[in-house]
Amino acid sequence: MLGDAFVFDGVAHPFNFTPKNAFGKPGEMFSNHLYAFHSALTPDSATTLSAEEFLKDWTPADIHQMVFDESDVDMLVAMPLPLTDLYRDGLSPWEECAELASRDPDRTVFWGSVNPLEGRRALDLVERQVKEFGAKALKFYNVRYDYGQPFPWRMDDPRIAFPVFEKAQELGINLVGVHKGVPLGPQPIEHTQTWDMDGAAANFPDINFVIFHVGLPFLDETCWQLIRYPNLYASLAATVNFIVRAPRMFAEILGKLLFWCGEDKIIFGSEAPLFHPQWAIKAFMDFEIPQDLCDGYGYPQLTDQAKRKILGENLLRLHSMDVEQTKTRLGRPQSH
Amino acid sequence: MAASVPEWALDALSDVYDPCCREKGISVVEMGLVKSVAVVDGHARVELLLTTGWCPFASRVLDEVERAVVDAPGVTTAEVAVVWDEAWTTDRLSPSAARKLRFLPDPISVPDRESYIAAHRTPSQSVEEAS
Repeated sequence: MLGDAFVFDGVAHPFNFTPKNAFGKPGEMFSNHLYAFHSALTPDSATTLSAEEFLKDWTPADIHQMVFDESDVDMLVAMPLPLTDLYRDGLSPWEECAELASRDPDRTVFWGSVNPLEGRRALDLVERQVKEFGAKALKFYNVRYDYGQPFPWRMDDPRIAFPVFEKAQELGINLVGVHKGVPLGPQPIEHTQTWDMDGAAANFPDINFVIFHVGLPFLDETCWQLIRYPNLYASLAATVNFIVRAPRMFAEILGKLLFWCGEDKIIFGSEAPLFHPQWAIKAFMDFEIPQDLCDGYGYPQLTDQAKRKILGENLLRLHSMDVEQTKTRLGRPQSH
Repeated sequence: MAASVPEWALDALSDVYDPCCREKGISVVEMGLVKSVAVVDGHARVELLLTTGWCPFASRVLDEVERAVVDAPGVTTAEVAVVWDEAWTTDRLSPSAARKLRFLPDPISVPDRESYIAAHRTPSQSVEEAS
């Protein structure tokens, strides 16, 4: 807990940055890009890792230590990252995430991930991830790569996406995340935009969809969709890490989200080990939207209640977990 | 555009695009990414604001800006620096870029959020949501 706030970290990836895992120059460049992101945004008050310390094979044990031993995080989502055109294992394979979750199953939730373009194979893998490995949700990436070229697909595609959503529902899964916005390599921009979420949300009203990274830079589009569909949510993962280095930019993003979408629709994610969770959650807890932005643009202030919801309560509800019961059962006294 | 960007630089950068805006034909000038351009002894220094700061294509924009500036008369070398302590805001968009990119007004100009949303739902969206 951070004060009285239960912290449910919505994303950690056990990255495998070992050089032999990267496919040539593109993989190496992507690793370096993430390291640059780490070193540029980690504040002076926290530890910035050297390239040698950062660009390694992060094991489930490493992630567990960073999130639970070194941070006031109470629960975590272990989330795959399937960049299969850049890394031999995709960078953060689902099996590693399942192992991370199995180390502390009360506190760590495994989200599965499949490639819907694989059809029957994807459906079988959803079943395996849910039944054998306890996946509680699914995370998708709309631009897959193979043979050196992108293969984009849309969340509103009845032939590609809907069978996977239907399979998830059949297995009792009603929570689906999707990477949007910032491209993970040379992706066609239109497929990182969020317009396909209308069709997904409208056709599957019983599934809650989380748009990761609040769809940046397509924030207005993301807001307009969250406004209109009660089953759409936005994750601040990685976006929140601008909070110290570029606080006014973060305030603009958050203010817009709070006004248009409301505090019940926003969730937190640390992206550990890209960023250490502790500095971001503390900065978020201490954050206020500058008064001149509230006065000038009409943004609502970030209240203590909103902070509690964003840091954990909203994500607990999305996992159908009772907030007060879970706080009592798993909330740990603040120790950092 | 700020006076700290000379006319020749605006011209030179009017064909440089952030990849997210290329298909819409909105240049870095129209996006308001260019904060300042100064030339001393043939060396140009460009200060650039990024919209999100974490796009992996950012380095490409920096390279293209540098290339466009160094091609300008009177410039022999150029450097492009990202400004981190100032947020890019939608106020920096040119009027035509704002028309192409913005969907939502600033909250302060929306007296009643619910009325605004109701007024801007299209019939097809209402049908879609009800389906």
